[in-house]
Amino acid sequence: MSIWNYVVTAHKPTNVTHSAVGNFTGPQELNLILAKCTRIEIHNLTPQGLQPMLDLPIYGRIATLELFRPHGETQDLLFIATERYKFCVLQWDPDASEVITRAMGDVSDRIGRPTDNGQIGIIDPDCRLIGLHLYDGLFKVIPFDNKGQLKEAFNIRLEELQVLDIKFLYGCPKPTIAVLYQDNKDVRHIKTYEVALKDKDFTEGPWSQNNLDNGADLLIPVPPPFCGVLIIGEETIVYCSASAFKAIPIKPAITKAYGKVDADGSRYLLGDQNGLLHLLVIIHEKERVTGLKIELLGETSIASTISYLDNAVVFVGSSYGDSQLVKLNLHPDPKGSYVEVLDRYVNLGPIVDFCVVDLERQGQGQVVTCSGAYKDGSLRIVRNGIGINEQAAVELQGIKGMWSLKSATNDPYDTFLVVSFISETRVLAMNIEDELEETELDGFCSEVETLFCHDAVHNQLVQVTSNSVRLVSATSRELRHEWFAPSGYSVNVATANATQVLVATGGGHLVYLEIGDGALTEIKHAQLEHDISCLDVNPVGDKPTYSNLAAVGMWTDISVRIYSLPDLNLITKEHIGGEIIPRSVLLCRLEGISYLLCALGDGHLLNFVLNMSTGELADRKKVSLGTQPITLRTFSSKNATHVFAASDRPTVIYSSNKKLLYSNVNLKEVSHMCPFNSAAFPDSLAIAKEGELSIGTIDDIQKLHIRSIPLGEHARRICHQEQTRTFAICSLRYNQSSAEDYEMHFIRLLDDQTFEFLSTYPLDQYEYGCSILSCSFTDDSNLYYCVGTAYVVPEENEPTKGRILVFVVEDGKLQLLAEKETKGAVYSLNAFNGKLLAAINQKIQLYKWMLRDDGTRELQSECGHHGHILALYVQTRGDFIVVGDLMKSISLLIYKHEEGAIEERARDYNANWMSAVEILDDDIYLGAENNFNLFTVRKNSEGATDEERSRLEVVGEYHLGEFVNRFRHGSLVMRLPDSDVGQIPTVIFGTINGVIGVIASIPQEQYVFLEKLQATLRKVIKGIGGLSHEQWRSFYNEKKTVDSKSFLDGDLIESFLDLSRNRMEEISKSMSVPVEELMKRVEEMTRLH
Amino acid sequence: MDPKPPSPSSPTHGGAATFLSNLPSRGLFSTTTPSSTLGCTRVYICDHDTSPPQNQLIKTDQMNILIRSLLIKKHGCHVDTNNTRKRCHVDTTKSTSGSSDAKSAIKRVATGSVGSGSVDCLLGLTVERLRMMLREKGLSVKGKKDELIARLRTSYG
Repeated sequence: MSIWNYVVTAHKPTNVTHSAVGNFTGPQELNLILAKCTRIEIHNLTPQGLQPMLDLPIYGRIATLELFRPHGETQDLLFIATERYKFCVLQWDPDASEVITRAMGDVSDRIGRPTDNGQIGIIDPDCRLIGLHLYDGLFKVIPFDNKGQLKEAFNIRLEELQVLDIKFLYGCPKPTIAVLYQDNKDVRHIKTYEVALKDKDFTEGPWSQNNLDNGADLLIPVPPPFCGVLIIGEETIVYCSASAFKAIPIKPAITKAYGKVDADGSRYLLGDQNGLLHLLVIIHEKERVTGLKIELLGETSIASTISYLDNAVVFVGSSYGDSQLVKLNLHPDPKGSYVEVLDRYVNLGPIVDFCVVDLERQGQGQVVTCSGAYKDGSLRIVRNGIGINEQAAVELQGIKGMWSLKSATNDPYDTFLVVSFISETRVLAMNIEDELEETELDGFCSEVETLFCHDAVHNQLVQVTSNSVRLVSATSRELRHEWFAPSGYSVNVATANATQVLVATGGGHLVYLEIGDGALTEIKHAQLEHDISCLDVNPVGDKPTYSNLAAVGMWTDISVRIYSLPDLNLITKEHIGGEIIPRSVLLCRLEGISYLLCALGDGHLLNFVLNMSTGELADRKKVSLGTQPITLRTFSSKNATHVFAASDRPTVIYSSNKKLLYSNVNLKEVSHMCPFNSAAFPDSLAIAKEGELSIGTIDDIQKLHIRSIPLGEHARRICHQEQTRTFAICSLRYNQSSAEDYEMHFIRLLDDQTFEFLSTYPLDQYEYGCSILSCSFTDDSNLYYCVGTAYVVPEENEPTKGRILVFVVEDGKLQLLAEKETKGAVYSLNAFNGKLLAAINQKIQLYKWMLRDDGTRELQSECGHHGHILALYVQTRGDFIVVGDLMKSISLLIYKHEEGAIEERARDYNANWMSAVEILDDDIYLGAENNFNLFTVRKNSEGATDEERSRLEVVGEYHLGEFVNRFRHGSLVMRLPDSDVGQIPTVIFGTINGVIGVIASIPQEQYVFLEKLQATLRKVIKGIGGLSHEQWRSFYNEKKTVDSKSFLDGDLIESFLDLSRNRMEEISKSMSVPVEELMKRVEEMTRLH
Repeated sequence: MDPKPPSPSSPTHGGAATFLSNLPSRGLFSTTTPSSTLGCTRVYICDHDTSPPQNQLIKTDQMNILIRSLLIKKHGCHVDTNNTRKRCHVDTTKSTSGSSDAKSAIKRVATGSVGSGSVDCLLGLTVERLRMMLREKGLSVKGKKDELIARLRTSYG
């Protein structure tokens, strides 16, 4: 790997942190706005449900998000503040369909201590000002003028230093805030202040209330007519206003989120830390509050945000599990729950750990993550590509072709499946018992290979064999008409649609037939200069059963041509180049764009945009899908057309954002595919694999396929052992059922196919599983699972005791072979020169695996190295050890065999608080730290002095904006040896927000090229809200802010492909590189993930 | 909308059911099978200028809060003369009882320091303080700060 790195997101953040409902995209449109850390999603609320609309990438981590409507506006504006102290006000322009920046600014202060409890951003309900609490003791005010424009911001001193929540109160003549705070005796109070805009100061508010619930943490402002505020505590809920004070006790719970149900604020939904959803009701007589009432509704994911949408449907956004769309039913289900989950939205966050495995042994990496937390913990299997779920299979050897046919033209389902072999044709059909059974189509010739079949108009079927074209009635199954190939010639290739047949015979003859009721009419004959290799007349124009164009692939001159129909005039000829003939051509229409796809004999695929009126071909692109000849076929899934490319690496070609995307399928080798939509197997595909015919359904068409394994407990570490085909995880279960909350920790063994628990080893009380490793030792051929633990006793600041447990898998069970007590938490375990390297508190310790006299084995300490604050993350390579310290960045150690000692070789002297490390190559190490930055350091072996050699030089810096928990070498995509990207080494990372990303080390030449493209793109693609990309990607922590270096933002670079043609040309001009070249190079990069 | 708990349709369902009726509805989510696919959303590419309109690039007033509040008070005393005077009246009526010894002590100290001499000292005092001193001397408290200082100075001779 190299110092030149390319960072790209493979799976976007899914942790929903904020949500809001309002009329953002239009006065009549109701939207759900979701914030997912660095992205904002806009959805439309429709009678049919939630319709996704837009995904806005934001150059910042969203700290607060509010919808508001200034006086005189007809639609809501969106206020966003980022964690790096930028804010913007966004407006949707419905005419241009663009997001407009209404205002933006920097709200940072030169001095000030950032708040401990997160940033607060609130807007006065009467839109007089925006309030921000970003630093302890300061309240920032951005006033509105009477036209809804923002004015200069100013700070007001806030006496309360430990602020828990601030909200604006409704119905106050002057903008009034309620401040929930904790005093220096840890007692919580609430106080109100009026903001005097003229004096730029606070004046005492109308009321205050001292000595609240010690767990009071959340304020809910109540709108008119009641006004006032609800104070949500852990044991009480209080309604408080100038005139009333009502309190009710609740079952102890930590409320995480609330959502207002009624516009008058009489009902609220509360979500607690256990995922329980409550309804809080303000009981009132007219406008006088007489009491509060709380009712348990049921269980959801642990909510981070709740938005009541409409008609009893509620969106529950979650950070710890899948977000949900739930319905509140008037009547409880048998379990007493009023909550019905309508839909779930996958959330991978927080990814605490993951491993890269190849479960299906197809040469493609899959990521298995420890996702979610508390009760919503799960394992997720993330793989690139689309899954086929096999429903039925028959053993059939030597399939040469397959077609599905209907028994009547207007039948929605397919009845027959025609399977062609080298010297016969068989017809399968579904029988009454929904079994696939062989049947007869009398009119079909079954003694020869079928070249092509198709449904035809007037309830007819067409069969093309080497010497004739047969037209058969679908109802009587009898032959109605037959067209014979000219004597001396046989049909080599053929194609047809419902009304047209095109056949090619030897000698370059091309014959065009049209289908009538019981008649095949030869319309046109053409003599081409070479033999024809493939044909297609799939209708892509306006008529659903008739094509004006025919695609023809040629031998000898290796070209693909477009002929007009019915007169067979040559319109376009495109030379493919090279010596590989086209094996399959296909005309198709995806997302309204017509394409000509042309698959070559060596696994390459060319695609062209086809101009339907002129028949011209444009935008030629070439990709490599496999190494064997490809056959192309269209199919539809969920009302969209896609293309299946059958080959040694079957691929689904689909269109997203008017862009062709390629997703591989989880099958090894597919020779033929045809859609088979039968009543018993709706929306299915028939797939011919080696020696087998199977019928299966296809997953949703998307790039990443995610499978969830809910655990009901929180998995924290995961490790795979290929030989035993198992996973081992460290997990913890929270037990709330009994009177006292307690946690139980386990080591669990899972089958790597079924993900069933095979065996469980419970850990002691207070004992946490901290690390897990599958390894073997010198002089021992067995494979072991090693687990490092820590005893986390509540009274201790740092664990002082831990264990290393060595397990072997026997008969699918975990057997404890050895254990070794340690003097601290075993934060990391690594296999190291046939020994075990452990990081224990501030020490790195090496253990030997020794054979005792009695034949048992034990871990024996060999040597160690002190000098860390906490050695949390350790990676090894050869004799080198790279340590990521709690707060002392990265250091490099070396193990000296002769002396049996570990010594420090070099270190990075920056004070980075690490969250993950990885070794990129012998000299370059990658680190992630807790201010969401990435950096690389280089070993300086050529330094002139000892001092220079002892320093790890920082060579790359970048603000990722994501908290990385783990790096792993590996790749999510199949590596094709012949493609350029196959040679690029990659590291995968997983983050708290559920992002899976890829860091690719690219050659310097490519880096320079892409860096130039990135710089040009920065000028064309603007940050939403006027936020700057350059600032966003600059390395940033409390001590310094420096421009990013040696890292490229792949997300920005790959958005080049989504630009309009004009913009692309603009960029191409300013870079003096042709558009095609730019597209090719960027598309190459997209194939890394 | 009146969210008063309506008479429960089926008395067997207690608790939450009574409060779950009449949930707000605008006719959305009316079909039984909401179809939705979050995540397949179109990614917005922003290729137009996003810099905010003129005057809407918001900056923070960098002036120190203390200095700012002093300045505002100085400017504000014109407008609020009447108010301040009223407040002063209240103050004086309260202090006539002689209960606020501490206050008068401060006043004495202040007057003492002024008595010892310099004009600069007077300049450094707030208008309110000057007025208080004037009131003690039974002089008029009207006018701008400069006039108050001039009046005090003449009274000291």
